[in-house]
Parts: sequence; structure tokens; C-alpha cells
Amino acid sequence: MKNISPIITTNMRNNLRSKTVVIIWYGTALLILIALAALFGILLITPELNKVSPDKAKLELYLGIIMFSAGSLGLGINLSALGFTSMIREKSRGNIQSLLATPIRLKDIWMGKSLAIFIPGLILGELLTLISLVAVNYIYFVPKVGFVLSPWIAVTGFFAIPLIYFCLGLLVYLIGLTGKPVNANIIAQAFLPIYLNIIIQILIRTTIFDVSSWTFTLTNIGFALVIAIIVLIRQARVSKEKIVLSY
Amino acid sequence: MNSAINIENIKKSLGNREILRGISFKVNRGDIFGYLGPNGAGKTTTIRIILGLFKADSGNLDILGQDIESSETRRKIGFVLDLDGLYDGMTARENLIFYSRIYGLAMVEEKIGQLLDMVELSGRGNDRVHTYSTGMRQRLALARSMVHDPEILVLDEPTSGVDPSGQIQIRKILLNMAHKENKTIFLSSHNLDEVQRICNRIAIIDRGEIKLYGELEDLRKKMGKSGIIIRSSNDIPDEVIKEVKRSPDLGLKEVKDSNLIFMPDEGTETSDIISFLSSRGVKVEEAIKQEASLEEMYSNILKEAEPS
Repeated sequence: MKNISPIITTNMRNNLRSKTVVIIWYGTALLILIALAALFGILLITPELNKVSPDKAKLELYLGIIMFSAGSLGLGINLSALGFTSMIREKSRGNIQSLLATPIRLKDIWMGKSLAIFIPGLILGELLTLISLVAVNYIYFVPKVGFVLSPWIAVTGFFAIPLIYFCLGLLVYLIGLTGKPVNANIIAQAFLPIYLNIIIQILIRTTIFDVSSWTFTLTNIGFALVIAIIVLIRQARVSKEKIVLSY
Repeated sequence: MNSAINIENIKKSLGNREILRGISFKVNRGDIFGYLGPNGAGKTTTIRIILGLFKADSGNLDILGQDIESSETRRKIGFVLDLDGLYDGMTARENLIFYSRIYGLAMVEEKIGQLLDMVELSGRGNDRVHTYSTGMRQRLALARSMVHDPEILVLDEPTSGVDPSGQIQIRKILLNMAHKENKTIFLSSHNLDEVQRICNRIAIIDRGEIKLYGELEDLRKKMGKSGIIIRSSNDIPDEVIKEVKRSPDLGLKEVKDSNLIFMPDEGTETSDIISFLSSRGVKVEEAIKQEASLEEMYSNILKEAEPS
């Protein structure tokens, strides 16, 4: 950790220096989340709350979807925005090649740079999840049925989703390091809408998962583990030579 | 242990292409070693092997008697690669602080100041690197290579893309590093003039093979067939010229007005030529010894290596 801390801090600072990119991307994440919460509020939550006895399971489902989307948006948009731009820049300038010639281990460079991208996303994701939890509760639920939150929704939103994106970030950076950053970016860009859409469809249209149950949380953690296994397999085959030759 | 870098019979292929075909050379401590060769000769691959970015397929490499894989050895090497690797969004100072932290050093302001002074960037230390010219970037990269006070500097074409005044500045810095800071410098370059001016030893690589290697002065003597220009204060009679031509050991190469240019055989001294001419009434005004330039040596080597 001692070795990678300068890589994390310096790269985070360097990545976040482009204020325009940060404002545009993070602003977009916030706007999408507000629109999603408003749509859910108007189309699903308000009609449910207007019933004589609102179904708490449904309210938890809606809250769960909004929190799930909030975390995914924050982390996903961050990965696409910071991950891609920093990878392109660092490859064209030879930052990574120079670091590889220092005493720092390849694993530390990869981990440090991945964390430098992940940490701002984690902060943004957790913040958006927290905002959506508080806002949905105080705007819709508290006046009528009180505070709604299942512990498993919280674990999924605050832990499982960041874990998925942490593993995905490691994978994306690994692909970018040893190949073309644009390929890594395609994975980062495509993952967010595809995963989010599949989960929302499954939750709304089927009874396979109950968003407030431990099975949903465990499924997400399991998915993160699958990505982690792919990362471990790929990582074992990475060498400095492969990285340098990918320039 | 006098050798800083010792390369023995290193071979390296990338895909089906043989990049290095068993190269060997030694860089002694205190050398400014010029590594020359055309594009694609294997210079950058050699540098990447020295820095541990590539693994050789076979052969031995030791740096100051140690393996390059050890982190202790890496701490003894500073480098400037083909891409400078500077962080554009950060200032020069921040770049130096970052690299000093990478080497586990607590960089003090004084040391940064000294490094920026050395590369003549002290006035621009707080400017972001994206505002720098190519020459300034290269100078900063040189300063960065020195943050951990390495014993060896490995530089891959540090003056490439730099304007002439920037090149002069960089040469001055390199000489400073070698003589005042006592560093061993391994300098890969296309710039023959630069190598001729600052290097004491060279190796020329072509198509993955070392074609020439040794002390620059020795190589000049051995390879260059030093020429001698004799200037006469009077016109040289045709009969004398004919007579000179009849003595092949004198090696008359060219006659220009009252100047004679000789490429004598080994064993023929300048004094032999002068006494030959004086005894035939030629008034020798001046005898100039012309040494072969690195450029001549380089182009001869590459010409010889060309497939017929």
C-alpha cells in the first residue's frame, strides 16, 4: 500500500484536473438519477401510496431499483469518463511505460491506477445512493408510511454494487493496459446500460429476485466474484513486455 | 567491478522477427556511452531490456553486477524513454515530487530546486507541463531521471525533436551530469554530432548486431584511415605528382591546386611524406592531419552491412 499510495493520489488529482469532463459526466449522472426518481415517483410510487393500504414490498422494490440505479450510475459513468480518458492520455504520453521501469511492481501500478479511477466513482456512487435513499423516503414515504429501508437493499446499494464496479474497473484497466484502451472503454460503456436494464427488467417483470432479500445481494456479490475470477485469470498472463508492446 | 552495464550475447525476438542477434558490450563506470544505429536496428529494444521492460530470450545482463529484476538495481538507474512519461496536468515540481515518492524518498524543496536549476527550468517549476516546449519537456524528463540520484542514466534519444539551441542545452546538462554528478550515461541517439561531442565510447548496432564497439578515439584511429593534407607554397610540378602516384604506400588520394590529400598506408608517417616532397623541391607550408569523423565511420559500417 505504501508503494501504491503516491500512484493513487497523484493519478486521482491528475484525472480530476479536467473540470469540464468532471462536471459534464457527474452532472449527467445526477440528472439521469433525478429523472429516474421522478419517473418512478409519478408512475409507480405515488399510485401505490394512494392505495388504502400500500404494499410495502412494492415500495421497497421501487426504492431498491432507484438506489441500485444511483450507485450504478455514479460508478459506471465515472469508469467510462475517467477510465477511458486517463488510459488514452497515459498510454500516449508513456506514463505507464515510465512507471514500469521504476522499482514499483506491475501489480501495484495496475492496482494504484485502477483505484485512482474507482475511488472518485465510489464516492460519487455512495453519495448518489445515499441521496436517493433519503430523498425518496422524505419526499414520498415518510409522510404516508414512514421510513422504508430493508437492510439487504442497503447492503446491495452500498456494498455489492461498488464491489461489482471495483472488479469491473480492474478488468477494464487490465484490458486497456495490454490492448487498445478503446476496447476497454467499449466494455465500460456497454456494461452500465446492459446490466442496469437486465436487473430492472428482472426485478419488475419477474419474481426471480426480491430486491429486499439476501438472495439479490448475494447474486450481485456472486457476479462481482465472477468478474474477479476473470481478472485473476487475465492478470496472470500480463507482463511488462505485453504492456509496452501494446503502445 | 568496473562495468556499469554488462551485456553478453543477448538475443531477443518479437513474434517471428529477430530483433537482437546476440549482442555483447560493456559500459564502464563513468562512461558516456553512445549507442548508435538506424531506425529499427534494435536500440530501443536494447534499452527496454536494460530497464527490465523486456526479458531477453537468452544471454546475460548485469547492471552494476546485479540482476535488473531486483528493485535495488532499479533504484540505481534513471531513465528518459522515447515517450517522456510526464504528467501534463501537473506542474514540473509536482512531477518531480511524484517520482521521488515512487522511489520512496521524502523530496525536500531544496532538492527539487537544485534539479530544476540544473535543467534550467527553475523559473517554470510551477507551470503545468502541457505548457512546455519539447525541449523543456526533455529537460524536465532529465531532471526526473535524477530525483533518486541514480548511478546510471539510460537515455533514449533525449534530443529527438528538440531545436538546435535546446540540443545544446541538453548536451550541456548531460556533460554536467557525467562530470559533476559522476554518472554513467548510456545514450541512444541518431545524432552523430552529439555523440561525437560528448561520448567517450560507442557501439553501433545494425539489424540486431553490434557492428562497431569501443573507445571513440581508438575506433577513429583504427577505422578512419586518417587523412593528411599537405599544403605547398609553390605549384607542385606534374613530374612530382606522377612520382608520388608511383609510390602507392604514400596513398595520394586527391590533388587540389597546390594541396595534396593523402591516405597513407599503415607505417607511413606524415614526416615520410614531407621529406619525400621536400627532396623533390616542393615547399611544404602546412601538414594537416584529418581524423575520420564518426559520420564517416557510421556510414562505412552501414554500407558494409548492406546486403549485396
